[in-house]
Amino acid sequence: MRALVTGANGFLGRHVVDALLARGIEVRALVRPAARLEALGWPPSVDVFRADLRSSRELPRAFEGVDVLLHLAAVVSGGEDAQFAGTVAGTERLLDAMASSTCRRLVLCSSFSVYDYSSTTRTLDEDARLHQMPDIYSLGGYSIAKWWQERVTRRFVEKHGWDLTVLRPGFIWGRDHGYLAALGQQFGRHHLVIGPLTRIPMTHVENCADVFALAAVDPRARGQTLNVVDGPGERVWTYLSDHMRGSGEPGWRLPIPYRLASAVVRLAFVTVFRQATKVPAILTPRKFDAMLKPLRFENRRLRETLSWTPPFNYRQCLARTYGPASPPAAAPAPWPSGTAAST
Amino acid sequence: MKAALIGAGQIARQHLACLNTLPGVELAAICDLSPATAEAAAERYRIAAWFTDHRAMLEAVRPDVVHVTTPPTSHFQLAMDSLDAGAHVIVEKPATSSFEELEALVQRARETGRHLIEDYNYVFNHAPLEILERMESGQFGAVTHVEVLICLDILGPGGFADPNSPHPALKLAGGAIADFLPHLASLAHLFVGPHRTAKTVWSKRKDSPLPFDEFRGVVEAERGTAALGFSSSAQPDAFWLRVYGERMQASANLFETRLTFDGPRKVPKPLRPFFNGLEEGKAIRRAALATLLRKFGSSGAYEGLWELLARTYRALADESALPVSVSNVLAVNRMVEALKPSEQRPTEKQP
Repeated sequence: MRALVTGANGFLGRHVVDALLARGIEVRALVRPAARLEALGWPPSVDVFRADLRSSRELPRAFEGVDVLLHLAAVVSGGEDAQFAGTVAGTERLLDAMASSTCRRLVLCSSFSVYDYSSTTRTLDEDARLHQMPDIYSLGGYSIAKWWQERVTRRFVEKHGWDLTVLRPGFIWGRDHGYLAALGQQFGRHHLVIGPLTRIPMTHVENCADVFALAAVDPRARGQTLNVVDGPGERVWTYLSDHMRGSGEPGWRLPIPYRLASAVVRLAFVTVFRQATKVPAILTPRKFDAMLKPLRFENRRLRETLSWTPPFNYRQCLARTYGPASPPAAAPAPWPSGTAAST
Repeated sequence: MKAALIGAGQIARQHLACLNTLPGVELAAICDLSPATAEAAAERYRIAAWFTDHRAMLEAVRPDVVHVTTPPTSHFQLAMDSLDAGAHVIVEKPATSSFEELEALVQRARETGRHLIEDYNYVFNHAPLEILERMESGQFGAVTHVEVLICLDILGPGGFADPNSPHPALKLAGGAIADFLPHLASLAHLFVGPHRTAKTVWSKRKDSPLPFDEFRGVVEAERGTAALGFSSSAQPDAFWLRVYGERMQASANLFETRLTFDGPRKVPKPLRPFFNGLEEGKAIRRAALATLLRKFGSSGAYEGLWELLARTYRALADESALPVSVSNVLAVNRMVEALKPSEQRPTEKQP
């Protein structure tokens, strides 16, 4: 079995490549032309395909002999238009190329950012309401692009009758990516912790990658949309303490009750910022909610559908994130290949 | 009046946001090669229809005005097709890749009785307009010299210097900087008129996909001289406009709202620097506040584009004189042509 992985050298992508290899799946890694790959330590068996989704004319060739596409590529920096062009128009070009191939199976990396947190109460699961048009356009470039990427993908799938699995990870964390937007607002070394007892919908990058590799091979994943979180999530205060201890970054933490901060943001928005074009995300109610609203998160559907449990528990994930670095990729996988990883 | 856009990228969104506020303008259609990009713009700006083929759009919608907001090398054909379809054309700068293409467009516009307008948005920012007002009222005196210097870091990986996907502007003579020449030339033309001669220096300071990252030019024009420049290395980002009159001088940063004047003062000469400083300080503080408030408005740094579009649509409706005339476009582009480098790469230095 051969998988084509886009965004293969990204934070999640590099771990997905490792997880696929560990399951004995051949990997064709689609990376941008100028990507530096030396530090990833990929074995020679990884077939590197260099192309930019925004402009390459070679994309149909990337699908030769491919059984499943894992589409992880997204532009996460730059302005709104750059993100839309890279993530959405890039997906259109990629799936156009797929339509000319024999590959009929795809796993899309979507995001929690497609959910409308503002209208969700209590539990956010796969049945939560998604952002609607035109409200989606009041959100940031990342949310707009990820929402549209899923929309475009579903249209292609419907038109061509492909098998689709949509995975929506929460906040993905791991080595060098320990700080999360859910932690509130950082001022230099100091933190304004909004809703210190709120739980974070989080998934460690290696656990998350395991779900992607599993979804690529497991027929039970077909046609499913699954949220990817490791469990109910740590509380903001706990995780921030662990992050600061682990990263050795000193600083003060000032806790603010969620309701107080939410009221201030909403008041500021209706009085001053409604028409503003350049306001920090945290001062826009919908974006504030998407980062900080205290909801319950669960992975019941993921567990039940794929019989999945995270390969690493929270303590192990902390050690893998902040402990001494383990040698890259070539090292044996932390779980037996060919089986659904579980602890 | 029915407006349509070809190209739904970053600058198109500025056009759309403005058009949605103009009275008597109906956003009839938008076109982009990417269906999702076109459809998203249509949803967001309440545009009646979206297309991926511009000819199909022109045929189906028959717009009165077409805005061409695609990358520059595609402007010529799209503008030509729009003129042929009987529409006035507002084209983003640079209007065409070469002067010959521009002449062909102007010729077609004359034949079809339509207008061709190039977007010189910074000419319609508050600062140049206020300097013009003082010139017209006589307090500024005749302009002898103008300096325009854009300091902008365009060497970051996400834009013109993208190492993964070559930016379309790199195909222009002069590369990415050519994208800014119409700004420099339109402001020079505004204050000192059509050029007679020009001398330029094109160079490259840093390693990047750009053929050039620095440009300086000196222009002798009908009513004075101009010193024009673009620097990718000088920081922080700024857009300096300095106008030297016979009685007054003005200095503005067009990325902000900063504008200061230095003119005759009824104080003893030794006290002039003191009062100048006070006055300038006051103007800069006022501008700092205005720049902050501008962020809460809709147009932001594109205030000039909004002004230009409002004036253009008003003139089209009244059949009065356009804010950017065709002779204006030709004169600015003659200057742009004179500023372009003779080689596409810097000449190798001899050891």
